[in-house]
Amino acid sequence: MSALALLTALLASGVGACKRPNGDDDAGLPRSETLYVAGRQWGEPTTFNPIQSSVQWPVNTINLMYETLLLYNPLTGQMQPLLAESFAQHEDNVEVTVNPNARWSDGKPLTGWDVKFSFDLGDKNRGLPMGPVWQYISAVRLLDAAGNEVADTPTDTPDYPRRLQFMLAKDAVNPLVVLDSLQDVRIIPRHVFEPMIQKIGLEATTNEKFDKAPVISGPYQLKQYSSEKIVTERRPDYWGNKVFHDGKQAVPRYVVHPIYKGNDHFSIALRQGTLDMSSTFVPRIWRKAEKGVHAWLDKPPYFTPTAMPMLLINVKHGALADAAYRRAMAFSINYTDIRELAGSNYSEPLQPGLIMPFGLEAPFFSAEDAKQYGATHDLARAKQTLAEAGYKSTFNEKGDLVETRDKNGQRVPTVYIKSPTGWSDWEAIVKIAVRGMREAGIDARERFVDGGVFWNELFKGDFDMIMNTPASPPSPSKPWSRFEAVMTTRDFAPEGEKVYKNMGRFNDPKAPGYIARIDQLLGKIPTITDAAERAAAYRELNVIYMQQQPTIPLMYRPDQFYEFSTRHWTGFATGQNPYLPPQIPGERLGTGMLWSIKPVPQD
Amino acid sequence: MLKNHPVIKHILGRAGWYLLTFLVAVTINFFLPRMGKANPVDSIMAKVSAGMDTKSANAVEEKYLKEFGLVEIDAQGKIKRGHDGKPIKASLAPQFINYVSMSLRGDLGGSIAQHPKRVGELIKAALPWTVALQLPTIVFGWLIGNILGALAAYKRGVFDRVFYPGALLMSAIPAFCFGMLLVYVFAIKKEWFPAVGGYDNGLTPELTFNFLSSAAYYYLLPFLSVFLLVVGGQAIGMRSMCIYALGTDYVKYAKLLGVKENKILFYMFRNAMLPQLTGLAVSLGTMVGGALIAEIIFSYPGLGMTILGAIQSSDYPVITGCCLLITTTVLVANFSADVLIGLLDPRIRAAQGGSK
Repeated sequence: MSALALLTALLASGVGACKRPNGDDDAGLPRSETLYVAGRQWGEPTTFNPIQSSVQWPVNTINLMYETLLLYNPLTGQMQPLLAESFAQHEDNVEVTVNPNARWSDGKPLTGWDVKFSFDLGDKNRGLPMGPVWQYISAVRLLDAAGNEVADTPTDTPDYPRRLQFMLAKDAVNPLVVLDSLQDVRIIPRHVFEPMIQKIGLEATTNEKFDKAPVISGPYQLKQYSSEKIVTERRPDYWGNKVFHDGKQAVPRYVVHPIYKGNDHFSIALRQGTLDMSSTFVPRIWRKAEKGVHAWLDKPPYFTPTAMPMLLINVKHGALADAAYRRAMAFSINYTDIRELAGSNYSEPLQPGLIMPFGLEAPFFSAEDAKQYGATHDLARAKQTLAEAGYKSTFNEKGDLVETRDKNGQRVPTVYIKSPTGWSDWEAIVKIAVRGMREAGIDARERFVDGGVFWNELFKGDFDMIMNTPASPPSPSKPWSRFEAVMTTRDFAPEGEKVYKNMGRFNDPKAPGYIARIDQLLGKIPTITDAAERAAAYRELNVIYMQQQPTIPLMYRPDQFYEFSTRHWTGFATGQNPYLPPQIPGERLGTGMLWSIKPVPQD
Repeated sequence: MLKNHPVIKHILGRAGWYLLTFLVAVTINFFLPRMGKANPVDSIMAKVSAGMDTKSANAVEEKYLKEFGLVEIDAQGKIKRGHDGKPIKASLAPQFINYVSMSLRGDLGGSIAQHPKRVGELIKAALPWTVALQLPTIVFGWLIGNILGALAAYKRGVFDRVFYPGALLMSAIPAFCFGMLLVYVFAIKKEWFPAVGGYDNGLTPELTFNFLSSAAYYYLLPFLSVFLLVVGGQAIGMRSMCIYALGTDYVKYAKLLGVKENKILFYMFRNAMLPQLTGLAVSLGTMVGGALIAEIIFSYPGLGMTILGAIQSSDYPVITGCCLLITTTVLVANFSADVLIGLLDPRIRAAQGGSK
């Protein structure tokens, strides 16, 4: 057997031998200096190009390699400084000032010219990650300290411009989306990208991998990668050490993202202590505490929800055009079962409407409205709502639904709820929803479709009902962006044409019954500065939402999960000690944790 | 002329058939994945379209469609559009011709879901894992299984009565059950072995004692999860082949002639071997398809996972590229088996030679 083992070891050693470390010692990465994080990289890494939309860890999670101007704290709702030392919201623009200490890894200062270039690239190329914000800004102005406009021609002057004004587009004033982008757009080194784009063109530039010691501003540099892991190494000369951390370096020398194939591998690796942090779904987290594995909170709901998985409804399909039918559906679903059975209880009880009743959205939530207009699980109300709208359902002697007829005696066609095959938690949710609807007398059935087809059908509106989590990541524009994602008519298009918002084709501006007030409110809310006025507008919008029920929210869920193991490292932020939000290091504000955690002495 | 060289005639005949099979398989490999409704660009759009307005999203989508050659391009390199302004989908025939000519030059194209990686790169990264997991298990499993099977058939008695049910059990357990059972008992409950990956996360593949011992340690569970099943399956097959051979006329005849027992055993083994040999060739051929189940359970980044991922994201070039690789190796392995059997089996020589 020993010969066997040797042979196999030899064979295995051929594996992935193509990528070698840049002169590391034999022992590999010392465990006490390495933090293993996971959950944001699934397949083999393909590109680390910061201007690619589908880029890999850690570029995709923002500020380990490339940084943003600001960071959004989903616990406090505040924007915190990163590359920008300050920001201010004005009548017609949002202004930021770049930190004078910000430096690229090649020692060059990070200037206003870099920032302007990073955004301007999206003006003419809307498909780039910095493109979408150009719906809402008309220009990025570069100012000197005195407030005079500076020419967009970079020089080596030590007195480089640091003030920038993001001019709000006159026809779409929306400072919220602009703030979103300030904490989302990666600032790239102009002195690297501009010459490259001039030389080989933009398309070829986006296909570059940027995997060999790229010029970055963040605290960790890409060291090596393969189909098994991505390794980043601490940069001793990171500019932020001085500005944010009293001159101290981050604690772990390496931050590594191993690549596993399925959710259960992350759970097992956490249990075994080979993984320190993960943002994957770990079932029954309470049973792992004895192994040193914990979540953000040590008791239910364990996580802080920021997203709402929901059923989108195509309101152009038959009886689904009828708000009463949609509301009857919302009354018929057992949300408690969904939370407990499909959601591992990682969620607070659901309240009607699109506004979360806790956290930052709590000031906009009205329990009174929810009670008066909202639909909660109530089978009798579901049946009553159907009956009042003239629907008649027949059941057989076993109590199973046979068919539903509308007030004209026409049979209501079966409503199919689509969900991607193999997404087991979503499949469970859909089954619970279907069961409730059929009990209430609504002819609904599940339809699980191939993942490749699913997205096409979602965007084209080729569904009766479909699972989706609109506007999932926490951002300054919540809950406005959630309303916008399901109710706006800004990009309204008939079924068959792709749209990326309001896929249910709700509130057709050309059809009778168009509710202009919705678009008015969606346009107005981002511009309101008075807190009471904003709360009133949200309240009004949420009431319309509950009356119309264009979609059916099913539960609350964190956008990213947050689990950690205390076998090798301690000092992670938790619900009891929330010095940072529940984001794993490498993910926006969570990166700050790298300066606070401590290795656990091993015996 | 070939009449005098029955073996060569046999080989040439087989080669012709294999070539035909290859051409049909290549064509099916190309068209089948592309016939479904799924579009690989949709999966990409799902990831990148957050917050985009329709205009920006369409611009991105068209950029990808153009890049992957899924739309018609005019002489200026612009996308051809129908009267409704929508891009015209590229027809399959020219794509197929392009694919064949590229494949002949050894270029399998670029991945769509893992853009901008090349298919060749993906296969190169995954293949060593698959071979490392599969080759030793198949070869050793086959050898040991056959020896044990022959022994059981010949010895009978207690050995057979204990061994046979055990082998039967091993060959009947589904691979995923056995793998998960091993992980549950030895990795999760006992924590004797690591549950996932190919070697310690902190190491880099290189020829050092540290790495090799780590790789061997990580390798044991996945190896056993396949190896024991292969042993079981092979042993059962060999055992029944040998039992059958024991009762054949030539063995009886040899016994009556008083041929030495060892010699008889050799005859018997040689005959019983033939179907097993074909089996070995087939498993070596299909080996590159990956041990999907073991790869999933142990998170080995092998070819099985590559293909599964490609199918899930409708990544046509990767599906086609991997299938081409599998097709080729299966056919080559089968062909080698045919050649080998032609050389070993006197009956084939006789049949092809036309002698009575």
